[in-house]
Amino acid sequence: MGRDELNVTLASLAQGRLSRRQFLHGTGVALGTAALAACGQTATPTSTEPVAVGSLLDATGPINIYGTPLIDATKFAIDDINSKGGVLSRQLKLTSFDTQSTNDKYVQYANQLMLETKAAVIMGGITSASREAIRPAIDRNKQLYFYNEQYEGGVCDKFVFCTGVVPSQQLSTLVGWTMTNVGKTVYTLAADYNYGHISSDWVKFYLSQGGGQLLGVDFIPLDVSDFASTITKLQQRKPAAVMSLLVGGNHIAFYRQFAAAGLQDKMKIVSPTFGLGNEQVVLAPNESKGITVSYPYYQELTNSTNQKWVSDWHTRYGSGYPYITDSANAGWVGWHLWALAVNKAGSLDRDKVIKALESGLSFDAPEGTVRLDPKSHHLTHNVNIAQTNANHGFDIIQTFNAISPDPQGQCDLIGNPDQHTQFTPSLS
Amino acid sequence: MHLDQVVAIVVSVLGSVATLLIVSLGLAVIFGLMRVINLAHGEFLMLGAYAALTATRIGVNIWVSILLAGVSVGIFGLVVERLLIRHLYGRILDTMLATWGLSLVLVQAVTLIFGPSTNGIGTPLGSLHVGSYSFSQYSLVLIFAAAAMLTIVFWVFTRTSYGVMARAAVQNPSMAQALGINTARTNMVTFALGSSLAGLAGGLLAPTAGVVPSLGQAFIAQSFMTVIVGGPGVITGTSAASGVLGGSYNLVSYFTTPFIGQAALLVIAIVLLRLMPQGLSGNWRRQL
Amino acid sequence: MTVARRVLLSPLSRPVVVMLAALLLGLFVSDFQKLTFALWVIYGLLALSLDLVWGKAGIFSFGQTAFFGAAAYLYGMIAINVSPTSGETVTALLGAVLGAAVLAAALGYFMFYGKVGDVYVAIITLASTLVLLQVMTSTAGPQYHIGKAELGGYNGMTHIPSMEFGFPGHPGDQMSPADTYTLVVLLAGLTYFAVLLLLRSGFGRVIAAVRENELRTELLGYDVRRAKLIIFAAGGAIAGLAGAVFAGWGNFMNPAPFSLPASALVVIYVLLGGRGTLAGAFLGAVAVEWLSTTLGGVLPSGTTLVVGGILIGVVLLVPGGLIPLFTGLVGRVVPRRPSMRRVLGRPLPARVDGVRGQRLEAHNLVKAFGGVKAIDSVSLDFPARELHCLIGPNGAGKSTFFNLLVGRYSPTAGTILHEGRPITHLQPHERARRGIGIKLQVPSIYRELSVRENVWLAAFAKVHNPPRAAAVGDGVLVRVGLIERAEDPAGDLSHGEQQWLEIGMVLASSPEVILLDEPTAGMTREETLRTVELVRNLAQQATVVVVEHDMEFVQRLDAPVTVLHQGRILARGKLAELRRNEDVLDVYLGRTFRATGG
Repeated sequence: MGRDELNVTLASLAQGRLSRRQFLHGTGVALGTAALAACGQTATPTSTEPVAVGSLLDATGPINIYGTPLIDATKFAIDDINSKGGVLSRQLKLTSFDTQSTNDKYVQYANQLMLETKAAVIMGGITSASREAIRPAIDRNKQLYFYNEQYEGGVCDKFVFCTGVVPSQQLSTLVGWTMTNVGKTVYTLAADYNYGHISSDWVKFYLSQGGGQLLGVDFIPLDVSDFASTITKLQQRKPAAVMSLLVGGNHIAFYRQFAAAGLQDKMKIVSPTFGLGNEQVVLAPNESKGITVSYPYYQELTNSTNQKWVSDWHTRYGSGYPYITDSANAGWVGWHLWALAVNKAGSLDRDKVIKALESGLSFDAPEGTVRLDPKSHHLTHNVNIAQTNANHGFDIIQTFNAISPDPQGQCDLIGNPDQHTQFTPSLS
Repeated sequence: MHLDQVVAIVVSVLGSVATLLIVSLGLAVIFGLMRVINLAHGEFLMLGAYAALTATRIGVNIWVSILLAGVSVGIFGLVVERLLIRHLYGRILDTMLATWGLSLVLVQAVTLIFGPSTNGIGTPLGSLHVGSYSFSQYSLVLIFAAAAMLTIVFWVFTRTSYGVMARAAVQNPSMAQALGINTARTNMVTFALGSSLAGLAGGLLAPTAGVVPSLGQAFIAQSFMTVIVGGPGVITGTSAASGVLGGSYNLVSYFTTPFIGQAALLVIAIVLLRLMPQGLSGNWRRQL
Repeated sequence: MTVARRVLLSPLSRPVVVMLAALLLGLFVSDFQKLTFALWVIYGLLALSLDLVWGKAGIFSFGQTAFFGAAAYLYGMIAINVSPTSGETVTALLGAVLGAAVLAAALGYFMFYGKVGDVYVAIITLASTLVLLQVMTSTAGPQYHIGKAELGGYNGMTHIPSMEFGFPGHPGDQMSPADTYTLVVLLAGLTYFAVLLLLRSGFGRVIAAVRENELRTELLGYDVRRAKLIIFAAGGAIAGLAGAVFAGWGNFMNPAPFSLPASALVVIYVLLGGRGTLAGAFLGAVAVEWLSTTLGGVLPSGTTLVVGGILIGVVLLVPGGLIPLFTGLVGRVVPRRPSMRRVLGRPLPARVDGVRGQRLEAHNLVKAFGGVKAIDSVSLDFPARELHCLIGPNGAGKSTFFNLLVGRYSPTAGTILHEGRPITHLQPHERARRGIGIKLQVPSIYRELSVRENVWLAAFAKVHNPPRAAAVGDGVLVRVGLIERAEDPAGDLSHGEQQWLEIGMVLASSPEVILLDEPTAGMTREETLRTVELVRNLAQQATVVVVEHDMEFVQRLDAPVTVLHQGRILARGKLAELRRNEDVLDVYLGRTFRATGG
């Protein structure tokens, strides 16, 4: 087909009756159309060749704080699936790229995985910006894609599955816990980007539902590491709790400067983001003392699946591994859910796999049993409230079971399968 | 406004000014006296932070560790100068390219050695209470350290024979050489001194910031802005620029939000350079 | 040399050859490769914009990604709102390019008309870029939207339409990734070609002059601010073109290009390829991107380590960048012919229309620096076609007075009249255009340009006609005795010859008034004697004011002299008379000053 088209192009070029549009099209696609045509239909299930799968994560650059645990979890999960027979009795062959904390590398490698590697599934992306950068290409190529990281929520896309926890799950539980156990006055410090803005809206929403009072919200640019003025302001406003929606290496400085100024005795920090970048590892235990967080997963969870998982992880990566984060758990869950769905569908065909994923699939994960919500393509998580301890880790103090990922029911991919969007919550 | 609040605001403003001054001084020396644009300046800070962190981890007293950070990054700077910068004098653009490469290498090397996250140093000393406000005693240390660093640099460049020669070598290299000044040597010392100041800054910041390999990137833009807005006066200019930029950032952040504070810092820098194209100290008599 | 070979090696055909080769390459590579190559070419185009403003015009912009990013957002905004109904994104593309050019022009006006230069431009452009980073990052939420296009904060704008041309019969037919490659290569080739043509025009030489010596260019009567503004806006437009195409390529845009690492990367592309080579912009971008993309697939976690190491290696081993390395290698195989820029027509005398010379007056001029009056109420009249000398000991205010006449300083009080019309607050280039030629004390010439190009620039400022400027220039070179050295770089001339060249440049602009500041500084005695002749010759066709402290030179000029002291006029008259003046002797011999005022 490609060759024919080229011949047609050359012939019409010779006769001088080619529109500019045709010329561009002809020179551009001729030999590549075959590749596009093949995309989305992977090899037949009877083959015994390995199944190509792809991963896009940041091993270098500033985002690698978050990328490294997911890279480790990915390799571990692939080996685990292969050691149990792979999918459809075929082994997985992982092609992974270092996206170097830059968004256009994501787009390039995503294209490579779709057009050259012909990966059956692509998993990866750390920041929401990286996910939104590749989503147009994912949708254009109708590629099955998993995003395994905590984020601001709302992605509603037939080809996309999100295994990370979202703010409504963490904050409905954490804000409630704060009002009962700490106090009703809250001051929010949020990283000045999408996650911070959306999460701070959720905080306001749950506070007003529970009769709490929001004393103020400060959005802090991501490159700020001098919190002197913020700390003075907190002392003036005197909230019972500081809701920290701070993110990234620079913002770690806040916890340190907060403790050094002697504010730990005056107010308590609660946060759905503290720990994701191993903040409790970087900080000394006395600096992070009393900070309360809410995640599905902690390394300290006592269920048997987790105990085995942690011990296998330490066997594999050494006992000196800093701390196994919630994201690592989400990455592990993503790969296993996909493998379960392929085996259930009995095929690698994209539509059949999506159908299997939408069948109310559940998985016994380190965080406990998770269930995939068919309508929103997100997970129903158990959320645990925990407090920092003296060993750079957390002590769990309360568990909330089976929290829905989409409390407002905005996303229904069963009813509207053609949706490819990201909702923001309507909380006014 | 009560007195305690005023005290808290003043300490907080001085703390921001001191921080900006501390992170910029090393760059001011290297850029101001050598016209070398060191794009790895942020990574020199980061190395200082990791040096202090490593020293405390093996049991060295924290204050000694901070000084060690200055010494070790100074030595590192000396090595970089000998191996790399020395070949590039008079090639200001190539120096940029090389130091950019160096910064990439340093970030990733530190990541491979220490991992993307590692245990940091807690802030030493406690907090000080004034009325209903309290602030970190360490912020007083930072203010004091900034003043001390200024004094030392001033002393070195005005009272030592090296300092006079270094300034001469900058103002008129061929004349300085004709007078028998070994400019290669003064350049080497200046670069090492600037690196050492950056390392010391890293050591001083380590207990107040999250020590991660990308630490330097947060500081590089503001320190360049401070040095350039300051103009030709290495000490007077940088101090004045730190005061204006750090002070306005802190106060605007306090009365509005850190977003507007950060924007104000950038806009003030732009407007100042437009109004005073030679920097704050451009028309001042004392050129240091 | 065969015709084919000559065509291949001609500077103007080279980009065409490369472009055709790139298009041909598109036929043999996969879709994915075309997508990747398209991105590299887009970054090359972005780097080209920097090489134009920085490599060619000497404006160190750290803000090219600001124009790139702004255009990408603009493309997204217009395309999302317009293309569903219009079925094309050409409007969006043009709007984005225009928007970027306007943004660059606004920033350029702010900087260049405020006389901001050098590294300060870098910081202002960087700070402006960072402001965009902050503002765009915080536009998270549905309330930030332009029509149907949500800005999207840090996550950015997504599902931006690909390029569509909306050709008849193909409504809403979005460009495939592979077509995008073809389009990008064509756009890059055309832009490159346009830049080459621009640089070969008269304006292009003025741009080179601005880069080499801004002050001299201004004194020749060129509006340096305007030239910089134009080139900066053109650079902004090119960066904008790259940004708009990028948005259509990736269908997304977020604030990441506004960050420091992203804007520094453009500088790195240009430096690696070779600053000022234009082609190096593409080569540098492709080299860096190819390296990091390839390594990202094979190295587990050492990508930046290796990229950084290679950069350092290149700097040490290949100074000046890749293109100079290649041309150096090629130069060994194909020796370059010496530059043979011929002059059109016979040398013309610089003096075109008979006797000239106009009157210049200063009335009660005062210039104070922070309370100290360097010039204190000086009035002087320089009648038409006269030679006049201004002398005085060090610190007398000679240079300050000279700079007031030139327009580099604005007086605190007083007026300057030229033929009776006030020019007190005119810019130096405006005075030059009115016929005031200026030669500064330190030779101010274009050291990298040839002697002939130096005088050409001066003549072109006046006649605005390239062949005629060349003729006038050669006439001047004959007159100052430098015609034999016309093809040499001006920097190779001796100190005295450089002074003559500069006088020649003043002459080439056919001035009515000539201001000379210490024309014999650093000259040998023999050279000084020749200069006397030259200056007296000048005085036959223009009003000449010489500031000097070489007494022998002043004596030989045999002209009226004014002595300045402590910012005031001390005495006037012929030198022979002044030698008998007690006040003047006091000042020159360092005797205690007897005046009561002090």
